[in-house]
This record gives sequence, C-alpha cells and structure tokens, in this order.
Amino acid sequence: MVTRTKSALDKALVEAHKAGDKSEIARLYEEVGNVFEADGDVDGAAFYLTHAYVFALEIGSSRADQLQERLHRLGREVPPSKKL
Amino acid sequence: MNAHDHFASVLAPITEARGLSNEHYTSPTFFEAEKRAVFFDNWSGIGFGKDVPEPGDVKPIDFLGLPVLLARDQEGMLHVYQNTCRHRGMILVEEPTNIRGVIRCPYHSWCYSLKGDLKTTPHVGGPGQNVHESVDRSELGLIEIRSHVWHDVIFVNVSANRPAFETDKATLIARWREFEKPVFHGGADSSFTLDVKTNWKLAVENYCESYHLPWVHPGLNSYSRLEDHYHIEEDGQFSGQGTLVYRQLKAETGETFPDFNGLSEYWNEGAEYIAVYPNVLMGVHRDHMFSIVIQPKDAETSVEHVEIYYPEPIADETEFNDLRQKNAVQWKGVFVEDVFVVEGMQRGRHGLLFDGGKFSPVMDNPTHLFHQWVARQLYR
Repeated sequence: MVTRTKSALDKALVEAHKAGDKSEIARLYEEVGNVFEADGDVDGAAFYLTHAYVFALEIGSSRADQLQERLHRLGREVPPSKKL
Repeated sequence: MNAHDHFASVLAPITEARGLSNEHYTSPTFFEAEKRAVFFDNWSGIGFGKDVPEPGDVKPIDFLGLPVLLARDQEGMLHVYQNTCRHRGMILVEEPTNIRGVIRCPYHSWCYSLKGDLKTTPHVGGPGQNVHESVDRSELGLIEIRSHVWHDVIFVNVSANRPAFETDKATLIARWREFEKPVFHGGADSSFTLDVKTNWKLAVENYCESYHLPWVHPGLNSYSRLEDHYHIEEDGQFSGQGTLVYRQLKAETGETFPDFNGLSEYWNEGAEYIAVYPNVLMGVHRDHMFSIVIQPKDAETSVEHVEIYYPEPIADETEFNDLRQKNAVQWKGVFVEDVFVVEGMQRGRHGLLFDGGKFSPVMDNPTHLFHQWVARQLYR
C-alpha cells in the first residue's frame, strides 16, 4: 500500500468534505492518523483517529468499534461496549 | 370582571355560564400561559408515528417553541427527545433524515445513539483526548420527553406530571376498546394539513359540537340529521359527538373498505368524534379512523394535521385507490367547510363587547365542558 503524504491527504480530505462523502472522510482521517502514528506522533494520531471515529460512528460503519479500540489503547477513549 | 369572577362564570352551570373571554383567544400572554398549564402539563399531541416510519428516521418539530426530535431507533421504538445537545444546547437535527449510526452534533461532534446515549465527546479533554473525569457520559444523554403512541398519534407530557397515558386516558381507551387494533396509514393521499387563522381552542370547540352541522355541512342533512347525533361528555378528559347513521363509502362496484375485525353491531352505523384534550381530534368508524393534531402556532394561528388510517394496509393497493382518495377528499371537504366559522369566531374575539358567549344548554354541553377544562388548567 502506498502511503500518501500528509499534504496529499489534506487535499483529499478537503475534497471529501466538499463532496460530503462521510465514508471517504472517515477513511481518509484514519489514513492520516496512521501516518502520524507511524511518525511516532501519538497526539497527532489521536486527534485524527478521533475524527475518523466520529464520522465512522455517524454513518454506522463497522470501522467504528476498531477505531474506538485503537483510541482506548492510546488512553483517549472509553473501551467499546461488549456486545451481548 | 376580575380573573376569579371570570373563572367562576366559566365554571358555572351551562344555563348560567359564559365562555372563556376574548383574551384567551387573542392574547400572547394567555397563549404563553397555556404552553405550560395546558400543553406541557398534560398529554398533548405533537405528531404521528408515520412521520418517522423506518428505523433510523428522525424528524425535528417545533412544539410551541420547544425544539423536539422524533426518533425511531434501530429496534423500531419511537423516542421523543429535546432536540438539543447536552454540551452547549445546539440544535442537533435541522431536517428530517435517516440516521445510520449516531446523531452527531454539528457544533463539536458530540454523538448520541438513537436510544439517547452519549457515545463520544471528541476532544472534550483537549485535542485528541475524548474523555475527562468530570464529564460523565451516563449523565449527559439526550433529554427524553415522556411520550406515548396511541393509534399512531404521538402524545407527550413534557412536564412529566401526569399519570401514565394508559391510566390518564383509561376512560377513553375503554370507550373505544373495540378499536384497540393495529391501524395502517392510508398513504400520501390520506394526509393533509389546513392552515387556519384561528386560536387552537376554537378548532377544538367546533369539532365538539353537532349544533352547526345542518348549516355548515348541509351535505349531511339528507342522511345525518341533528337528531341522529348525540353528545359525548367526560368531564375533565374529553368531549365530542357521536352519530347513529354513519354511511360507508362505496365504490361504483359496491365495494367498501375492509372493517375493523370483531366490532359489535353498534358500529355498523355508529361513529364517534372526540376531542382528546387538549389538542387531538379523533374520529372512529367501522372501516377507518382519522386523527387531527392541532398545532398552535400563536394565539391566532393554528395548523390542523389530518391523517387517515385503515384496519388493513391498503395504502398501496390499487383496488382501493379511488375509495381512499374519495374518503380523503370527503373529509377534507368537511374540514374546509369549518374554516370560515373558526376564522370568523377568531375575528369575533376582537369584538371588545363580546362577553365570552352564551351556551345553548342543550346543544353546547360538550363545548362548555372543554371551556371548563381549559379554565381549570389556567386557574389552578
């Protein structure tokens, strides 16, 4: 997988917000979060993964639980609820 | 006349009583007082379940200035919330939509499940920190307003002070127990609204009485005479009228709508029309029912939301298209005939010398009962 630069991702995010494509917005924020995490910037990663989580939650994406778990491991969110 | 004397005159026996004074129909001050005393403190109608038919559907409405959100969760349960975020009070939903996941506040993205739980509070503890020890999500869910759905009408008791709906309306539910069955909305052609330049109470009062039928609805005279109607009076709860000569609509082929199952013979030709205080008007017949939610906009303006329901899901059945449309057109015609009288009475309420009116002790009993109920709410 090719890792895009933050600048390229910023441009893609602006376009996705203009289009109102929340699935793409969530995916792009997660990709940005991954880039920050790979750079060792935990605060930056948590910021962008939070945005990915919020938009994933909004559209009912199955990614939401995984993003919540990642944020919980970073100490930034409550753990996902156990599903009965 | 001071307020006490006026209150006494409304509560007097019908032979001596006068109706509610002009200010009750024209004054913004009285309208404001009614918000809590009449509407929020009682079970009031605000809409219909068919307005949020599918899981995930949400619809914002304005209930006397209170921002309210109708929401159907993924299990199909209907909730009524105050349409405001617990953070800064931002309006959450501006247009009807379907929520696939959570309700996200457009301001700071606090997210709520359709069951009202606060799911996340992004950056509440700083950038990238979504928790804070002083922010207890379990205490910050959506404000749920006490609600109950009866025959698809959504009732709310904002002040949460009344007994449970089934208890509060037990007498009416028992009276119409034979109609405690599923109802199915007739579809787009069974739904209409009327904007009327009248105080909401005049629309209720007109509905309560059969006295005006021969003059305002002359089409009924040939088969539903004044003497075929009877009063319905339940002090403090509801009033209205019944008829002994309901005539089913028939198609050219002679076909009629299907009946509600298991009705007693009374309903072969009986029908009843009841004002459920304060603002829901209902009519039941062997083969259909309708509900009208009167939405007060201000002291002198109201909207009547009319919905027609059937015992079976015939909304999409083409064989009933003509009959359904004919039924809706017929009822709309009747309600439109009432517009000039309710608007005329409203204009008459600006007649300074009008004394609230003199009731017919034989014909105006259901109307007087409603005046007394309103007076008791306002002058508690």
